[in-house]
Amino acid sequence: MSVENFRGAVSVAGVGLRQYKRGKAPLAEQGVLVRAIVDACEDAGFNPAEVDGFVSYGDDKNEPVRLMPDLGTRELRFNAQMWGGGGGGIAGAFGIAAAAIATGQASAVVVFRALVQDNSGRMSAAVMRHHLNDHLVGAGLVAPAQICALRAQRLYEYHKVPKSVAEELVLASYYHGSRNPEATAFGQALDLDAYREGRWIAEPFRLFDCSRENDGAGALLLVSAERARDLRKPPVRLLGVANGAEKGWGDLGENDRDYASAGFKPIARRLWRQTGVTPADVDVVQLYENFSAQGVASLIDHGFCSYENVAEVVRYENLIAPSGKLPVNTAGGNFAHGFVHGIGMAVEAVRVLRGESANPVADAKICLLAGGPGAPTVSSALFARDDL
Amino acid sequence: MKGIGADGEYWAALAQGKLKMQRCAGCGTWNWPAVWRCGECGGWEQVWEEVAPQGRVYSWTRSWYDFGGPRDLSVPYVSVVVELDGVGDKRLLGTLEGGEPAIGLPVTAVVRASEFEGEALLSLRWSPSPTQTAKEA
Repeated sequence: MSVENFRGAVSVAGVGLRQYKRGKAPLAEQGVLVRAIVDACEDAGFNPAEVDGFVSYGDDKNEPVRLMPDLGTRELRFNAQMWGGGGGGIAGAFGIAAAAIATGQASAVVVFRALVQDNSGRMSAAVMRHHLNDHLVGAGLVAPAQICALRAQRLYEYHKVPKSVAEELVLASYYHGSRNPEATAFGQALDLDAYREGRWIAEPFRLFDCSRENDGAGALLLVSAERARDLRKPPVRLLGVANGAEKGWGDLGENDRDYASAGFKPIARRLWRQTGVTPADVDVVQLYENFSAQGVASLIDHGFCSYENVAEVVRYENLIAPSGKLPVNTAGGNFAHGFVHGIGMAVEAVRVLRGESANPVADAKICLLAGGPGAPTVSSALFARDDL
Repeated sequence: MKGIGADGEYWAALAQGKLKMQRCAGCGTWNWPAVWRCGECGGWEQVWEEVAPQGRVYSWTRSWYDFGGPRDLSVPYVSVVVELDGVGDKRLLGTLEGGEPAIGLPVTAVVRASEFEGEALLSLRWSPSPTQTAKEA
């Protein structure tokens, strides 16, 4: 597929997000998901029965065929899921959906993720089960927080990245979240002392360096760019997607070569090459931050900064909308908007480009969605306004 | 749950108190995680060589929250990634006892036997290497 083909092929026509406190969803997981999918269809002015494809990631348990009765699905033509248990696959899910539409295998594809603790248990435990082995367990390493802590320690102690960058990123997320009525942190900007005095989880992470799970579901409706122009909302085009891992990265028992990275360097290189976009062209970033240091490493991997100048770029003032040059997580991100395995970040990528964000970025044309960092496979996507 | 795949010999050696790592019989590459086929040369024959359980701390974390690991590890405990000496920069995991963790710290391991979810589990317990004597240095 040529670059031009991908650029014009597919757009997001509608988004839906239902989010609750962990353990507080009013419906079982499948019910919440049906709500979110119908929300996305209503957002687009699209009949849910005409959705003919579904894609998810992160070992979602809701097999699309079971959604058919509720949605009135006329024909299921395409159902697929990204490999990998973590959020690393989120952007790649859009690549699968785009491939299905561009090749005529389906015409209207929903990318979704649903998580309700009563049904699927703790997401962190499920992610870890994917990779757990006796080497890890014997070392007492049984949670994503600990694995990411090992890599963060290397980032700080060996590569000399100042720990203050984590604080700047977390504060920016909470600033945005505090101004977003939909966010878990609405009305509560993070107190710096509370951050610094948060209890230790796994050094170097304290409580507020870690994202905390929510119940909920998110859905994004994708159709051809042409068809999207006839629907209710301004379309947001999928410019490109890159996914995977380079030799020396993966499920390697902590033998990854570029250990303190988030695994994105080769993926970002491919995304920039595929789209002709550069980091300087990106107006706003939805940065999946399972943990603070991994969010920072992801920005470094994508080329927004380096080990040397990271403290100049990852500054609170620079990361907040509308004044910052690199607005990050305009809904509050996983930290402060809510964490339904990152699907809220994809929804926000669309909203901010439509001008619907609680923290608008004036004239934003291009938004990067950087998926779950540090996972054995990671993925990123670029979204853009249709009039780019 | 058990192992990463082709590492049966590693666990068998550990049960005898020895550390063995896998090497390609064809091209000599140390492969870790262990492999069935050497991705470097395509060789199918792998050998297991006994190596000294020593290296340097590559990274570490001290866990304060109890995530539900082996019960004999009570928080706070330190987990380490150790780059082995003379094994092609390959890294193994384990716990660290008897000293403050720091990247670059020379460490030596003994085999630790514990249990997780009702099954026996072997691992490496690292501790700071004894200071080298003038003779050894």
